Amino acid sequence: MSVERLTLGRVTHIVGERLQGRVSNRHLALLGVSFVGFFLILPIIFLIPESLNLGSSTPFESYRRAMDGIYIDAFVRSFIFGLATTAVTLALAYLLAYYLTFAAKRVRIAMTLIIVPLWIAYIIRYFGILLFLSPAGPFASFTGIGPGLLFTSPAVIIGLANVYLPFAVLPLYNSLNTINKELIDASRVLGANKWWTIVKVIFPLSLPGLVAAGLIVFILAAGSFLGPAVLGGPRQSMIANVIANAFLENFNIQFASALAIIYTVLLVGFLIAFNTVFDLQEVLEDI
Amino acid sequence: MLEVEGFTKYYGDLCAVDDLSFRIEEGEFVTLLGPSGCGKSTTLHAIAGLVEPTEGRIRLRGDNVTDLPPEKRNIGMAFQSTALFPHMTVRENIAYGLKMHGYSKADIEDRVEESLTLVDMPEHGEHKPGELSGGQQQRVSLARALAYEPDILLLDEPLTGLDRVLQEEMRSWLRRIQLEIGVTTLYVTHDQEDALSMSDKVVVLRNGRAEQIGSPESIYESPESPFVAEFVGKSTQFTGEVDETDGKAVVYNDTKTIALPDGAPSPGTDVTVYVRPEDIKVSTEPVGSTNEFPGTVLNISNLGNRAEMAIELANGTTALAHTGRFPDFGVGDDVCLRFDANRVIVL
Repeated sequence: MSVERLTLGRVTHIVGERLQGRVSNRHLALLGVSFVGFFLILPIIFLIPESLNLGSSTPFESYRRAMDGIYIDAFVRSFIFGLATTAVTLALAYLLAYYLTFAAKRVRIAMTLIIVPLWIAYIIRYFGILLFLSPAGPFASFTGIGPGLLFTSPAVIIGLANVYLPFAVLPLYNSLNTINKELIDASRVLGANKWWTIVKVIFPLSLPGLVAAGLIVFILAAGSFLGPAVLGGPRQSMIANVIANAFLENFNIQFASALAIIYTVLLVGFLIAFNTVFDLQEVLEDI
Repeated sequence: MLEVEGFTKYYGDLCAVDDLSFRIEEGEFVTLLGPSGCGKSTTLHAIAGLVEPTEGRIRLRGDNVTDLPPEKRNIGMAFQSTALFPHMTVRENIAYGLKMHGYSKADIEDRVEESLTLVDMPEHGEHKPGELSGGQQQRVSLARALAYEPDILLLDEPLTGLDRVLQEEMRSWLRRIQLEIGVTTLYVTHDQEDALSMSDKVVVLRNGRAEQIGSPESIYESPESPFVAEFVGKSTQFTGEVDETDGKAVVYNDTKTIALPDGAPSPGTDVTVYVRPEDIKVSTEPVGSTNEFPGTVLNISNLGNRAEMAIELANGTTALAHTGRFPDFGVGDDVCLRFDANRVIVL
């Protein structure tokens, strides 16, 4: 009598047969959607009553306080640092992705080198930059720019751009790599030199990747906490630092919640505005 | 007009094209014909300046252009993928080459309209390429390549993605346009029907070497190598040794002989002979002529305007013969086939 061995393939087969016809793609999507719903959307919604503190006599006190100058500064700074980081990161990532797509002989090794830093904890990378930029560090001895850079806005933006670079390179590489190489040939034969070809053909066709990379980096950078905490001074405090401060040091959950809600609303509003102004649908159509 | 001299291209150790030379006269339609991997596309790309030759020279209008970048060669090219810019309208696609060639704004507008009319698509200027059918895209691609009056038009398998009916329509259309404006054209294809139906001259390529250069008629009627005979057109093959009996003959099945045309190789030579299907006649009874062989009908395929019969001969060879649309034979019938000695190709 032969007993069929229960291998992984066999188990998969049995489970698959049981599920056949009972599970649709919608069911599968439900897993992800409910995870996000339970652990992201719901907690944010719970922050709303928390921030209002409806039971008290001054329910909007936290929101009124959030309109103080220092907090508005933190919001504005988050957006400015976010935009600056996005600009720097996209420029660097575009050059890298362009090189990887059109010139690199060993794309896999280069890709690995770009992705490996993601395995290292952010805090270690920020401290690495901190040491590099510190008055006794290599940057100072190379350039002679003494202690000037550390704990300034450029230091924060350098750090953020450094950390978020891989997130921009991947979508950009992907969109550059899917451009039909015959389009580039066609442009050259039609009389355009290399530069015109980049401006008229390659760049417009890489816009979807550029937009995707830009959104990812902006959202990550504007909400970053560790970068400004390690590399910036008090004047580089971004909104995440202010919220963390309210929450962890002052235990003012009500105020921290209010700041978080305001930030979320601003961010979503910013994305909607971006979408309306640039009409993403229009930009991405046909590409 | 265009001269390719000793063009050689290596990719690493792999030789794609080996010492290829040919020339195209003003206004000629020349086809590079060969199976995939024969180097035809590499040659076309080298002429466009998109592939750097390992050795050899390319001359356009007498000038050595070997070291010129593609944008300085004044070449028009239609690609297999059409290579229309997806983010531009049809009009912008055609204007692109004109702009890059320094035409004025007014000239560009006029020429874009002319080009659209030339390819019978005047009302499609504002469409994006993605909204057009495959055939329409190829037309636009051609309009774009011709708009700035290039010295030579290069066509890289432009009909390959199209369905059969459209292919035939596009063939005659393409040839008509080419004759109308008289542009010197180099066409690359693996499709012998493309080559035979459109070209003034065909260059048959194999493993990066030119097997034969000549008119479509000479390529088809007098192939110079077994490769050309087998690659271009269908045929029935016999092999054997030339033997001198009365006149010249090839041994066939020990008992029968095939009469060869005048000028056949001397006795003792091993040869392969080819007979084209349209040169083979089929009848139920022998009529007593030379080169007559009995066989059995294996298969009849109706090709629409004619039928193609596969007939198995006594020695196991399968012969192909074309007959009228409704042959008087059925599968399994014993028939007799014959062909004129003058129609036999000896290689």
